[in-house]
Amino acid sequence: MTALKLENVNKSFGEVHVLKDINLTVEEGEFVVFVGPSGCGKSTLLRVIAGLEDATSGTVTIGGEVVNAVPPARRGIAMVFQSYALYPHLTVKDNMGLGLKQEGQPKSVIEERVARASKMLDLDSYLARRPAELSGGQRQRVAIGRAIVRDPKLFLFDEPLSNLDAALRMNTRVEIAALHRTLSASMIYVTHDQIEAMTLADKIVVLRDGRIEQVGSPMELYNHPANRFVAGFLGSPSMNFLERSVEGLPKGQTLGIRPEHLTLDGKGQIGGEVTHVERLGGDTNLLVRTEQGETLTVRLFGQNTTPVGEKVRLRFDESHAFHFDADNKRL
Amino acid sequence: MAISSNHKFRWHIAVFLAPAVLVYTAVMIYPLFNTLRLSLFSEVDQQRVWVGLQNFRTLFGDALWSDQFWNALGNNTWFFIIHMLVQNPIGVALAAILSSPRLRFSAFYRSAIFIPTILSFVIVGFAWKLILSPIWGIAPGMLDAIGLKFLFQPWLGKAEYALTTLSLVSVWQYVGIPMMLIYAALLSIPDEILEAGECDGITGMAAFWKIKLPLILPSIGIISILTFVANFNAFDLIYAAQGALAGPDFSTDILGTFMYRTFFGFQLQLGDPHMGSAIASAMFGIILIGVCLYLFGIQRRLRNYQF
Repeated sequence: MTALKLENVNKSFGEVHVLKDINLTVEEGEFVVFVGPSGCGKSTLLRVIAGLEDATSGTVTIGGEVVNAVPPARRGIAMVFQSYALYPHLTVKDNMGLGLKQEGQPKSVIEERVARASKMLDLDSYLARRPAELSGGQRQRVAIGRAIVRDPKLFLFDEPLSNLDAALRMNTRVEIAALHRTLSASMIYVTHDQIEAMTLADKIVVLRDGRIEQVGSPMELYNHPANRFVAGFLGSPSMNFLERSVEGLPKGQTLGIRPEHLTLDGKGQIGGEVTHVERLGGDTNLLVRTEQGETLTVRLFGQNTTPVGEKVRLRFDESHAFHFDADNKRL
Repeated sequence: MAISSNHKFRWHIAVFLAPAVLVYTAVMIYPLFNTLRLSLFSEVDQQRVWVGLQNFRTLFGDALWSDQFWNALGNNTWFFIIHMLVQNPIGVALAAILSSPRLRFSAFYRSAIFIPTILSFVIVGFAWKLILSPIWGIAPGMLDAIGLKFLFQPWLGKAEYALTTLSLVSVWQYVGIPMMLIYAALLSIPDEILEAGECDGITGMAAFWKIKLPLILPSIGIISILTFVANFNAFDLIYAAQGALAGPDFSTDILGTFMYRTFFGFQLQLGDPHMGSAIASAMFGIILIGVCLYLFGIQRRLRNYQF
């Protein structure tokens, strides 16, 4: 069964057309990540799914039921907000239980579900605290717990990690992935961070300017980007785009090469000068200015002693190169 | 202290503080202490003499004084209760309605409701006196127009209604203040918290009772104490509407009017600054106790939420 189906969803705020003809299917148990630069409409799309915004046109179907006119609480969704949006005046336990209490669930059911969620998220020792007495990571877990207790058909995450520091972000990412495996629930996750998208998703939806650019598994998108935008958005450091530095390239075409597919080779196709070196220990990134004045990044594995100012030649394998036409479509 | 002694004395701090300290001392601190001092003297044969606490003994012990004092305090308490039960809940309700994004013309309503607050008490007192007048007021006519004339009473003229009527006039005048404070507090609640509530099924009235109200409790606390202080210092509206005798038959007499009559004298009563100061000191004590009870008893239990 499909967990979510969007058909020709449009959303406008007055004159501004934010979502344009969104069509998308999320299968049961799938982890789908919406990714795109800020302002691309990914959060709006999530809010339309949640019911916090109404679609201007099109249908939203959750678990086989058209929910366009159904309020958020009865859509079978649970949402985790970027700011966590915990109720400041309630304890952790009451934060998680309030939704069930509002539904009129008996006390024993609330107790049991809260206990299960808090066990899953390691929150047992914090149940009596208020949000102000918790760290950012703990608040995050409470927000997730509040979603879990509702036992939703579909989890919605709105940039849940963006308020955490880098170390915690990595941990929480792993926890969310583990949670997805344990619950085997359908999840939609919005982020602007392509690393989160790559590491978490079964299916990535790349959005730009309110349109879906491409949908596919992380490796499909990485290896077969449909256009220059997707190619440049996924992967870090991002793909190099060259127009002039490679001989024999037809006019108007762009050549895309990922930084890890470039090697230093005296007989390489591209010549240039190293303008900056980033040594990360495991990798070394070289910024090279080609003879034709384009800048590209080279990712070398391991440590490398190439100094700034060195003249180098770079080699790439044609099988790893992507060609884009003048409209940025992949050829 | 050891650290600051290493520094040169920072004159500029004293210089910048001086204007505020001097003005505040001249208009607040000095009069307050002088009032407290005056209450310990009396005038005998046009000489000021030290009498210690004798004025207070008279105020609380002499039936002629104490009856008036307890009457004024009781009336004042009722005046305060009406404000707490009517003004503040209506203020909260208006703020909740105004903060609804679906309400149109909310800026207009906000201004219209707030305007009486900036009117002079003389205008308010006089206008309501005219409105409610049984002879030429518009209230009887308006009630007649909707067939409710039998409800009309000379509200300001009957001892059993006058105080409540004036309290409600004061509520009408000042309801804009709690409304504005609560409105600001409601706007400071982040949208995401309300949206999280929406996802939990908490919308409409439930959102108000379960999310918004607990989060604005600190503001309601502040409003309560402001109301308390303002009510126990009140004087102007009663004076403008009923005069210093706070009629009918002292039924609208509150501590402010009682103090005014005693201090400055009125009609046949001669002014007695020392007894007046004693009453003013008693008012100061009552307000001080009330504020302390609030600060130490209630405010400590209210949580302030950072969003």
